[in-house]
Order: sequence, then structure tokens, then C-alpha cells
Amino acid sequence: MGKTILEVKDLTTKYITRFREDVYAVDHVSLSLEEGKSLGIAGESGCGKSTLALSLMGYYFPPLHYVSGEIIIDGKNISKMDPDTIRKNILGKEIAYIPQAAMNALNPTQRIISFIEDVIHAHYPEMSRKEIYESARKRFEELNLSPAVLEKYPVELSGGMKQRTVIAISTILSPKVLIADEPSSALDVTSQKMVIRMLKNLMEKGYIKSMIFITHELPLLYNVTDDIMVMYAGQIVEKSTAKDMIFDPIHPYSKGLMGSIIVPEAGARNTKLTAIPGTPPNLKKPPAGCRFAERCKYAFNECKANAVGLKDFDEGRSYRCLIDSARLREVYKNEQQ
Amino acid sequence: MKGYRKYFAKKLLWFFLTLIIAFVLNFVLPRLMPADPIANIMSRTARGINESAATRAMYENYVKAFGLDKPAIVQFTTYVRNAFRGDFGQSFSQYPRKVNDIISNAILWTIGLQMPAIIVGWLLGNILGALAAYIRKGFDKLLMPLSLFLSCVPAFGMAVILLGLFAVKLKIFPVAGGYGFDLIPTFSWKFIKSILLHYQLPFWSIVIISIGGQAIGMRSMSIYELNADYVKYSRYLGVKDRKIVRYVFRNAMLPQVTGLALSLGTMVGGALVAETVFSYPGLGTTILKAVTASDYPLLSAATLIITIMVLVANFAIDIIYGLIDPRVKATQFE
Ligand SMILES: Nc1ncnc2c1ncn2[C@@H]1O[C@H](COP(=O)(O)OP(=O)(O)O)[C@@H](O)[C@H]1O
Ligand SMILES: [Mg+2]
Repeated sequence: MGKTILEVKDLTTKYITRFREDVYAVDHVSLSLEEGKSLGIAGESGCGKSTLALSLMGYYFPPLHYVSGEIIIDGKNISKMDPDTIRKNILGKEIAYIPQAAMNALNPTQRIISFIEDVIHAHYPEMSRKEIYESARKRFEELNLSPAVLEKYPVELSGGMKQRTVIAISTILSPKVLIADEPSSALDVTSQKMVIRMLKNLMEKGYIKSMIFITHELPLLYNVTDDIMVMYAGQIVEKSTAKDMIFDPIHPYSKGLMGSIIVPEAGARNTKLTAIPGTPPNLKKPPAGCRFAERCKYAFNECKANAVGLKDFDEGRSYRCLIDSARLREVYKNEQQ
Repeated sequence: MKGYRKYFAKKLLWFFLTLIIAFVLNFVLPRLMPADPIANIMSRTARGINESAATRAMYENYVKAFGLDKPAIVQFTTYVRNAFRGDFGQSFSQYPRKVNDIISNAILWTIGLQMPAIIVGWLLGNILGALAAYIRKGFDKLLMPLSLFLSCVPAFGMAVILLGLFAVKLKIFPVAGGYGFDLIPTFSWKFIKSILLHYQLPFWSIVIISIGGQAIGMRSMSIYELNADYVKYSRYLGVKDRKIVRYVFRNAMLPQVTGLALSLGTMVGGALVAETVFSYPGLGTTILKAVTASDYPLLSAATLIITIMVLVANFAIDIIYGLIDPRVKATQFE
């Protein structure tokens, strides 16, 4: 077992909305990430993936608020640190983030290099502009990005280029954890592949020590991350290695996610195309029982009665469902025929 | 830079096209006014002469002197030729003063009044708007209704209110003019003091009017920028708040620059109101006088000046803006 880089225990955060209706978008989430490993987080839109990404950084501003839980990065517990210290010592340096809408993530009136200067100066005020330029140029070359990009304004870059530039900026300080929130969702297939190759490249070269890759397309994670976590309505519903998740999803929701999208790689899809009917519940008033029960075709009365906990099965896998894993496997197998 | 040259050439072409059209209109429009300018001059110069043959001769003499007996097209070519030499002839209403002389005098007063007022109003408005967006809460709640109210007060309304309150009622400031009517323009302390006193009311009436609109514009631009994705991203990378605030206000400010350049360009148009209420000796008052006296040469020249100022301001905005805002650069220079 490698060294644990990121350890999250029972993290809960909420949005406080204008009418005092709290939205618990991250509900008792635990996860751990080892050095050199990557974790995929999948789930439909509105399941709390982006909120989890933001919550993991330990820095909160309205409307997002910390409720409970712990975040430990490379041995440092940041959930009790004061916000200014986190901003100065943790963000960008220990843990960095690529926002979901990376297309608009850059200040339109600032050259790329000037923003990089601001990012680096926030953590290393003593570095000279020349040193910063040199290290940025080197890093861009290492990542197969033209250093000419440094002199450009965001509007002068194409979509794919902008996305890769944002990735390069987010990782300029070689953070230990990188959280990429749907880094390839808005792109064409070619750019998607380039982005994924770039992220892998960052891992291989050691510029980042671990990565969390968020997507709403579960099958996309095939061959991209080591482990996968499926999220539904603010909670984890299944956790396993990527291989197990893709070839042997157990939770009916994971199963549905696998079936609802065409997979580019052959062999990954072994069920008929069946989009999950319905939409995720409103998190202002989540259902009392299993949150997926409303849409689950295997649900029975008991499912809606009491909250369902996460339980382990097989080796190192866990899922949140009342039905036994062996039984589910059997059901899926019968359906296929 | 090739893209920029093309952009520049395109803007320059438009500039000259508009200028030519404006030039023709400036000549034609005043002459469509149903009035007899010569009769106007006669009423002053021929006062006391009763013999009708003599007045007739004088009248014809004036008609000839101003070239009004020639066909309109000949008048126009003469006008164009002279205008290119910078000569706009003699004024009808202040005969025999030269139009150039009247205008160059008036324009100094106008620029002296308007330029500082517009810039001060713009600055104050933008600072207040930015603060309202940044602080929100009580400050915003107080400033916004006030700004809305101010921006709705018509220019003459503000001028009249200030005039009534500070000049007529409280008698702190003089009622009219650019300086005491009993003074001769010199560089004496007394004269400068008189100028400054006369300056206050027209100045503040323009400043107050422009603050409201600018503050509202800047506030909404700033709020929009404060919520932009790049603010959030920068924060999550640990960038200092001081820097982020600078991004936000720079971006919010850029569109406001257009507003500033435009109001500087249209200052003479806007000047009319404040200047006439306070009888300030600028272009506005001059135009008003020229209109009432059907003074074609003066009116044509004055409106031409305004046109040129507006056009130059617009041209300058396009050019400068294209250079300072990369967003415009990207969409225009392809
Ligand atoms: N700024 C916000 N204020 C209030 N609620 C929010 C805000 N952002 C997201 N939410 C709510 O939190 C839940 C999770 O959203 P999000 O984390 O964006 O999901 P995902 O990234 O999986 O699409 C949704 O129910 C959404 O409505
Ligand atoms: Mg999201």
C-alpha cells in the first residue's frame, strides 16, 4: 500500500440558500487516495459532485458552508485550519482544482502569464517575474503546450487549448492532489482525448501526486482512473476499483449509469441502452429512505422506509443498497438474456 | 498587428463618410429655418433710418455681401472652400464679428466647464458604484435609490433647482454669467475669484446629473464581474483578494470608458442646458442665440464643431478600446 495523500472522513457540507432552506449537497462522504492513484467520481448532474470538489479543498465561502467531518492532506488536518492559512498554504499548492466551466475560468482581460504570476506570488512572494516566466515556460513545454500561449489573452485560445491551459495553471505549483471537475465534458472527442492524456502525463511526470476526476459519464472513466466512486443525491452509493465498477456495477444506479451511455471502448458496455427514468431528488427535501428508491425498478416497500447505510462486500468494495450483492448480480444476469 | 491596421482603416473610412454627410447637413439644415436673417441685422444696424430707398439699398448690400443672392449650390461651394481654410465668415447676429472669433471664445468656456465636470462626475459615479457593489448592505441600499433618482432628474431640472436654492434663495452663488458683468477679463485675483464663483453651480449641476447614471452602470457591471467564474477560480488557487478585486474593477471599468469618451464627445450638446440656464458664455448659449437670430454662418460652424467632436470621440473610443480590451480585440481584428 502506498502513502495516503488525501483522507476524507464523514465530510458534510451545505448550501445555505436565501430562504433558509439548507441543501446538504455533500452528505457524510468518506474517501481516501493514495500516492500515484486516481479516483473517478461519477453521477448525474445535480448529485453533488462539484460541491464535493469544492468542499474537499477546505475553503468555504457563502453560500457553501462546512458542517462536519475531516480532511487530511498528506498528514495535515486542514478541516480545523483557519481560512486565511488554507488560502495561503494549501490552495493551489497542496490541493488544486480545475473548475467545471474552465472555458470561463480565466479573467478575459489578463494575459495567461500575468495570471500565473499572481498565482505563484500568492504562495511564493519572493519569486521574480523572470523566474516565474522561466518555470512556466518549462512547464508548458513539458506538457506539450506552446509557450506562446503565455503571452496570449484567454479569448485568443480555442476551447481545447483554454482547457489545457487551465490544467497547466492549476498544476503549476505541483499540488499533491488535483481535482478535475468535468475537465473534458464541454469538448469535442479529440480535445477530450488530449485532456485525458495531459492529466495522465501530469501524473506520470510526478507534477501531481494524485487525482480526482469528476464526470457525469461513468463509462468515460474506463482506462482513466484507478478507482471509481458513484455519487447520488449527495451520497456515495458505490465504491470500487474502476475495473469492477465498469464491468460489474452492483448498485442499481451504477448499473443504470453504465447502461445509459455508449462507451467508445469496445467491451465496456454489455447491456442495452437504457437511460434511467426520472431525475435526482431535490436535495432541499431528500427522501427519508434510499434516495434512489423512487427511480429504482428493484425497490420494494422497505427501501423507502429507512435510510440505507454504506456496506462492504467482496474485497474492498462497498455499496448502499438493501438488496444483497449476489442477488443483484443474478438479477442483472437474467435480464441480459 | 495586421488585423489592427484593417480595423483602424475601416473605422477611419466610417469616420470620414459620417463627417461628409454631417458637413452637408450642417450647411443645409440651418438654411431651412423659416426666417430672414438679413432683416435681423437690419433691425439693429438700420435703426433710425426711415427712408425706404436707403434701407432697400442697405438690405441688398447685405444680401450681396453674404452671397445670399447666389444659388444655393454656389453658396455651398464657397462655404466648403472657406471652411477648408478654416474660415466660417462673419456672423449675422453679431455682425461684423468673425464666426471663428465667437466660437473660439465660446468653446474655451464650454471645455473649461464641461471637461472637468464630466470627468469628476464619471470618477465619483464609478467609485460610488464600485463601492456599492463591493460593500452591498446599507451603503448599497442608500446609494442605489439615490442614484436612480438623480439619473432621472432632467438636466435643466437640476440646474434650475441649484439656481433657485443656492443663487436666488441663499444667495451664495451668482445667478448668471461666466464672471461678474462689471469686470474686465484680466489675470487679477478678483477676476479669478469671480470666475470660480460663477463656475460652481453649472459645474455641480453637471456633476450631480452624471454621478447617478455612472454609479448605476458601474454597480451592475461590478456585481456581474464579482460573480464571474474567474473570481471563484482565482480564489481556489489562493490568489490574493487584493489582486482579484483589481481584476474585477478593471473589467467592470472598461465598458465605462466608452461612457466617458461618449459624454466628453457630446458635451457640447449636453452643455446647452446647463449653459443656458446659467447664461454661461459657452457654445451652448452661443448656439441658442444663433438659432433665435437665424445666424446661418454661426450656427453651421457651431454645429460642425459639435459634429466633429462627437465623431472624434467615437473614433477615439473605437481605437483606444480596441487596444485596451482584449475581448474587443478578439472579435474585431479577425
Ligand atoms: N450555489 C448554490 N446554492 C445553492 N444550491 C446549490 C448551489 N450550487 C449547487 N447547488 C445544489 O447542490 C446540489 C449539487 O450540485 P452540484 O454539486 O453542482 O452537482 P453536480 O456537480 O453533481 O452536477 C444541487 O442540488 C444543486 O441544486
Ligand atoms: Mg458539476
